[in-house]
Amino acid sequence: MLQETPILTKNIRSPGYDGSLEAYQKAGGHKALEKALKSMTPETVIEAVKESGLRGRGGAGFPTGMKWGFMPKNTGRPSYLVCNADEAEPGTFKDHFLINRDPHLFLEGLIIGSYAIGCHHAYVYIRGRSQAPAARLQTAIDNLYKAKLLGKAILGTGFDLDITIHRGAGAYICGEETALLESLEGKRGQPRVKPPFPATHGFNACPTSVNNVESLANVPIILNMGPDAFKKLGSTNNSGTRLVGISGHIKNPGIYEVEMGANLKSIIYDLGGGMRDGKQIKVVIPGGTSSNPLKPEEIDIAYDFDAVAKAGSMLGTCSLIVLDEDTDIVDLAYRTIVFFNHESCGQCTPCREGTFWLKNLVRDFHDNLGDQGKIDRIRRVAATMFGTSLCALGDAAAGPMKAFVEKYPEEFRKHFI
Amino acid sequence: MVGFNDAVMKEVQGLFKRYPKKQHALLPILHLVMRENQGCVPEGWEDYVAELCETSLNHIRGVITFYDMIRKEPTGKFHIRVCTCVPCGMCGGDQIKNHIIKKLAIHPGHTTPDGLFSLEEVQCLAACDKAPLIQVNGNNPEKVTEESIDIWIQEMRQKG
Ligand SMILES: Cc1cc2nc3c(=O)[nH]c(=O)nc-3n(C[C@H](O)[C@H](O)[C@H](O)COP(=O)(O)O)c2cc1C
Ligand code: SF4
Ligand code: FES
Repeated sequence: MLQETPILTKNIRSPGYDGSLEAYQKAGGHKALEKALKSMTPETVIEAVKESGLRGRGGAGFPTGMKWGFMPKNTGRPSYLVCNADEAEPGTFKDHFLINRDPHLFLEGLIIGSYAIGCHHAYVYIRGRSQAPAARLQTAIDNLYKAKLLGKAILGTGFDLDITIHRGAGAYICGEETALLESLEGKRGQPRVKPPFPATHGFNACPTSVNNVESLANVPIILNMGPDAFKKLGSTNNSGTRLVGISGHIKNPGIYEVEMGANLKSIIYDLGGGMRDGKQIKVVIPGGTSSNPLKPEEIDIAYDFDAVAKAGSMLGTCSLIVLDEDTDIVDLAYRTIVFFNHESCGQCTPCREGTFWLKNLVRDFHDNLGDQGKIDRIRRVAATMFGTSLCALGDAAAGPMKAFVEKYPEEFRKHFI
Repeated sequence: MVGFNDAVMKEVQGLFKRYPKKQHALLPILHLVMRENQGCVPEGWEDYVAELCETSLNHIRGVITFYDMIRKEPTGKFHIRVCTCVPCGMCGGDQIKNHIIKKLAIHPGHTTPDGLFSLEEVQCLAACDKAPLIQVNGNNPEKVTEESIDIWIQEMRQKG
């Protein structure tokens, strides 16, 4: 029977924990910050994060320590750390779980990260509709200022840091890091052409690192337990734990923390409690709507970056959408493509037009007006979209549509005219 | 009247201090405009904000049209967002939406004639474990049923 491994959720899982500054410190919080500021150099902090093998939790899985290592030094311009709390991938709610329940954990990581890359003003970009979590976060930050853990000369060292919360205004694409930076600069949230990368030309054309909430939450943990112990958690190349969000027709939806590489099927049955009403699984979306669907016979795998990729999908944000035997795959595909079409920023022709065509084609099936020609057209449009647009949204929209028609042709046939 | 009062102007000055350029504070300032104007950016405010942020009117218009949350029409006293995105949609989000439409006799994008309720259909609100759910004003999203919605609407109507 698979059990949770409460590392990031250690506080949250202890009874009566309220996420306040006092509670956080009572539970041993800010030890890592003290250690970093008083006994480590920025370089040794980066080295420890590199050593730990921590890979970004925002979707792409890029090594966090390496990202910080790319930041140029002594450029004469300020460096920025921007925490990505946009969390708009459908099915994903882990970052909000941390923000609402234990905000000081990732804020500690944010302060340590800022120290590591020489940032003196960090931003937290949070989705616009999350007014309540943003207010809660503001209170947490205000309390850090009062406790002199933010502002000038933190912990009596020479390190100064301000943190500003920046609220978005309802655009999924602003989770993409360069769109996020545009939005932070008061512009339309449209992804930039890369290179140059944010590491050299990010916020206000200055060196910038964008890091996900959960990635930052791991940083104090790494410093506390040491990179070697952290590396022992999880599977090869996939160190640490993940906050897995389970939604859909599952008995116990919610957030569960497991070591990376835990068995996917066990996560669904042992932690999620299996399907409601004793139904069978029809489809599992393993990493948010951008990831390809898996069939029930494909889920007996390790839940980590590499194994899920090998199964033809991606780990993404570790958001499991589990749907039962009564699910209409066409309805699922339609909702998915409506989302991507709505959220395409419109810069690239293949993504802007492709998501629109795919939506119209899938809608025909939804309206029982499908035929074989339209299935072929879905595949052709998707093929045209792969690799032809600026950011990953174009591919993320095309991939699942192609996978749905290829994996569930009989479901589409049911909707032929 | 177009323009912030002194108290809000103080907040604006505070915002400007937190960014390298005034234009960077545009989204937070638009949120303030909406907070002060029943959830929307009314006629005339675009020019005002452009001047405040030292940017062009065209830039402001481009930004306003890009973001879903930035509205030109006021919301009702209770602005209801109903999620019909993937997890919510697969767990009965459409039924909830249709139920609210029938109950309030308005479609998404509209406000009841008494100004009490407005309705918006939205994409994922990052609380999918509570599907199906709605969000009222800036509160945390909550799991709902047709019955719980009936009770809530009744209560809000009585409170006015
Ligand atoms: C369309 C799109 C949406 C994204 N949304 C988010 C998001 O909401 N949160 C997030 O952390 N990363 C998101 N990302 C990934 C970011 O671009 C970036 O890789 C990430 O924030 C880096 O942080 P990490 O290295 O800690 O994972 C998105 C990417 C794309 C292409
Ligand atoms: S791929 Fe789509 S969302 Fe990304 S930049 Fe191009 S048009 Fe915008
Ligand atoms: S799909 Fe409704 S909150 Fe995520």
